[in-house]
Amino acid sequence: MTVAFMNAIELENLTQRYGDATVLHGIDLTVGQGEIFGFLGHNGAGKTTTIHVLTTLIPASSGTARVCELDVVEERLEVQRTIGYLPENVRLYDSLTAAENLRFFARLSGVEDVPRAIDEALGILDCRELADKRVGTFSKGMRQRIGIAQAILHRPKVLFLDEPTSGLDPMGVRQLRETIVRLNAELGITIFMNTHLLSEVARVCTTIGVLAEGELIYQDSLAQKRFPDEASLEDIYVRLEDR
Amino acid sequence: MTRQRHGHVLTLAGHEYRSAARSGVLVLLVLSMVLVAAGSITIASYDFRAQVADYNAYVQQAKAAGATLTAAPQFFPLQLLRGVIEYIQIIGAVLAIGLGYLSVARERTGRTLPLILTRPVRTRELVLGRLLGAGALIGTILVATAAISIVVIGTVGGRWLSGAELTKLALAFAIGIVYMLLFYALGTWLSARSKVVANGLVVALVIWLSVVLIIPQIGDTMDPDNQVPGGLFAALQVQKPDEKKVLAHFATYERVRNGLEETSLTKHYERLTFAITGVKDKYNGASLGSIAHAKRADIESIVLYMALLSGLMWFALRRENSTRTET
Repeated sequence: MTVAFMNAIELENLTQRYGDATVLHGIDLTVGQGEIFGFLGHNGAGKTTTIHVLTTLIPASSGTARVCELDVVEERLEVQRTIGYLPENVRLYDSLTAAENLRFFARLSGVEDVPRAIDEALGILDCRELADKRVGTFSKGMRQRIGIAQAILHRPKVLFLDEPTSGLDPMGVRQLRETIVRLNAELGITIFMNTHLLSEVARVCTTIGVLAEGELIYQDSLAQKRFPDEASLEDIYVRLEDR
Repeated sequence: MTRQRHGHVLTLAGHEYRSAARSGVLVLLVLSMVLVAAGSITIASYDFRAQVADYNAYVQQAKAAGATLTAAPQFFPLQLLRGVIEYIQIIGAVLAIGLGYLSVARERTGRTLPLILTRPVRTRELVLGRLLGAGALIGTILVATAAISIVVIGTVGGRWLSGAELTKLALAFAIGIVYMLLFYALGTWLSARSKVVANGLVVALVIWLSVVLIIPQIGDTMDPDNQVPGGLFAALQVQKPDEKKVLAHFATYERVRNGLEETSLTKHYERLTFAITGVKDKYNGASLGSIAHAKRADIESIVLYMALLSGLMWFALRRENSTRTET
């Protein structure tokens, strides 16, 4: 059964505290279905914490987070069937082959036709030749492709990528960019991407949000900038951060 | 839904087993345990065969001399397992802690735990799957150890085990799996709780040192009967009823000593398996039912430890703790 929904992600007054430290200050954020959303901010701004809440890894201290209209706490298992997640610098299981890694995650995701799902995922990422090779022998770029493959095995509606370009060479960054656009265009997956690279955001993303010290200071479509006089996304970012 | 949950548990268990097997850890652990067990059981079996040969020689000489035979001594081949049980107690516990540590270290360095926990998997499925996988790993180690023990007792000791003896041996090794699983859970819990996973290993080894070596050693040293090799009361030719009368004067001392031993999981395992295999003479020939009744406190303690460590493992593998990465 397909459920029609308008917003892929909704955060309402989301607050996250660790002891005395408040990492997220009442964030309100909406990401529409089919968007490629770039989440920008310095280290420690709270981007990864936001992803951890949305991917059900940590419960929020207060406020609500919904993915495809499902509450991440109340409907955790349903949310987990709806999302794919690639953490920063994932290495996967070195001693297993790419196919064995994917088989493990496909079974945990409840995929029914596991061999087919693996073949399709590897095909989408154009890396079928890696299937029977041990992940321990892979370059960073190869690992990243298998990492994305594990995240799309069950055809999620929303894909969370945490600093996906971290540590990649220029060719790897380009391949990743093409992959993200293809996943969005061909499979209709909404992408939520944490990143530092403004150039990537400008080339790939349809909407952006800027997080500074746990506060969402800017969110808009890149096609409808609220700063019409700005020459580039970098200018927007620097101005916002300087506020 | 239940089928899918079972599927998750089996998937996680199979993954735990495959990862350890593929990395070569399993082969290393099986070899190390089998080698030390084979060494111990071979020496004990030679001694056993010599005792039987001595008795047979005596029978032949007595028959030749026309003398009346004294009652045949009882030979209990399961007693030869004493060294193997002690190796499981000491080395097995370390190996299990190592397995738990490696399991957590593998997830931390691969940053894969968040990938598991963002799947529709419950924490209890994760804990159960891991325990099942570790149980299979430990089972492989102990089945190989049991097999080499049976073969050596049969070939070197010259006495193949009967069906009843094999049942007792199987039970003793099954308890060995539970015992090692508890140390696996300890290693997993402490490694998962630590910011730097190696710190958890160090703490687990300190606990191992206390539980496996120091506490039982203190208990043994405090035991009045252990002050003389062969037993103080035996050396003084004091009979069992008189021994109890003497010890009644040291009730508080004995309570403290026993209480200290009771805190050690290893001591419970030793008491139970020594009774099952008849290493403790008084349980030789006893039925498993009567042994279970006599050792009820040890069984309850092991079950209690199982509940405690499974709970701690569940706590450590909750999704809130999954976002740590190895540094």
